[in-house]
Amino acid sequence: MTNDTPAIEIRGLVRCFGKTEAVHGLDRTVPAGSCYGFFGRNGAGKTTTIKCLLNLLKPDSGTVRVLGMDPATQELEVKRRIAYVPDQVAFYPWMSVRDTLDYAASFRSKWNTDTENSLLERFRLDVRKPVTGLSKGQRTQLALIGAICADPDLLVLDEPTSGLDPIVRREFIEAVIGAYQDADPGRRTVFVSTHLITEFEGLIDRFTIVEGGKATVCLDADEARSKYRRLRARFAGEPPTLKNPGILRQTRNGRELVLVTNGATEQVLAELRDCQPEDIQSEALSLEEIFVVANQ
Amino acid sequence: MRIQVQFDLGQPVYVQIMDQVKSAAASGALQAGEPLPGIRPLAEQLRVNRNTVAKAYFELEREGVIETRPGKGCFLRNGQSRFRKAARTEMLLPQVDAVVVQAHHLQIPDEEVLQLLQERLTHFQNSRETSRS
Repeated sequence: MTNDTPAIEIRGLVRCFGKTEAVHGLDRTVPAGSCYGFFGRNGAGKTTTIKCLLNLLKPDSGTVRVLGMDPATQELEVKRRIAYVPDQVAFYPWMSVRDTLDYAASFRSKWNTDTENSLLERFRLDVRKPVTGLSKGQRTQLALIGAICADPDLLVLDEPTSGLDPIVRREFIEAVIGAYQDADPGRRTVFVSTHLITEFEGLIDRFTIVEGGKATVCLDADEARSKYRRLRARFAGEPPTLKNPGILRQTRNGRELVLVTNGATEQVLAELRDCQPEDIQSEALSLEEIFVVANQ
Repeated sequence: MRIQVQFDLGQPVYVQIMDQVKSAAASGALQAGEPLPGIRPLAEQLRVNRNTVAKAYFELEREGVIETRPGKGCFLRNGQSRFRKAARTEMLLPQVDAVVVQAHHLQIPDEEVLQLLQERLTHFQNSRETSRS
């Protein structure tokens, strides 16, 4: 695989459950070496898409390619090179932390014991402890260690931090940055589905917002933050109403007009200035706010 | 040197990191030959993508602000810019223009702009001298 081969390529993916279309013609390309955010509300089709990538579900139509390969026909080769952390992790209840990691390692050709030791220490996990005695946070940490130590080219995280406390969430993300991204960051790809966007904000290079099984917004994170802006203009009297199509939302607060713009910020600013405001302020939206605006 | 990033500035995170390193160098908080934080610890601490920090350092090196010593990390370069005087002046122009434009919109008279500039130059110079001694 060269670096030009996308880590994930999805073309016209459709997957139905009975009469319900969970994924409805999704197209997406995730470049190798990026950290890709897959944002969507509950039921938007995120997990169904991920399961199609892992060959846990068969697409009704469309194609998926993982590291340039078809997960249905080259399942073993795909699974050798990826790792997956689901939101609900299941372990064999009779195993200890040590047994679980050894078991996971037995399926892998590479196993990074240095990473394993440093992460066990960082998460303060006792290897002798039975997995049934672990808290939800510790179970996720154990799953993450099992995923990272295999040195995968693609790390797929499905709602990894939902239901965890803020400290565990923070440690989780630091471990992804520190331990996983440490080696060969130009090739290692992270694909994370989440609705806890704020925590992953700094990690995400590009993202897609899915809604009703389709991608609605796909942007580079820096580009998104410069494109979506909130403008606050204060007027001497009643604020005007602007009709620019680049305005996504317009709210009035007494003499203040608050606008959310999408791309056409300069134009809207010029129109605002023509209305002679006393003051104008412009601020960027966080990815989470963009997510909320895009879903309205 | 303490680096902080904000996601609601609308300014790319790597640019924020570059600006803070430059500002620390200008104020003497970071001195020639001193090491910058490692890419991995800084990325973890800011909880940003490693590639973002790497990009900031790469650009700083390209601009001749820092140098990478293989196996040792990144260090603030001492003095001498790699660029010719004319090129350096040209690189500063857009920022000077931005100040002029902003001052016009804020209706700040030219003399006050010059005075303010002088004050800030002195401020940074004093700050460098204090940290050196």
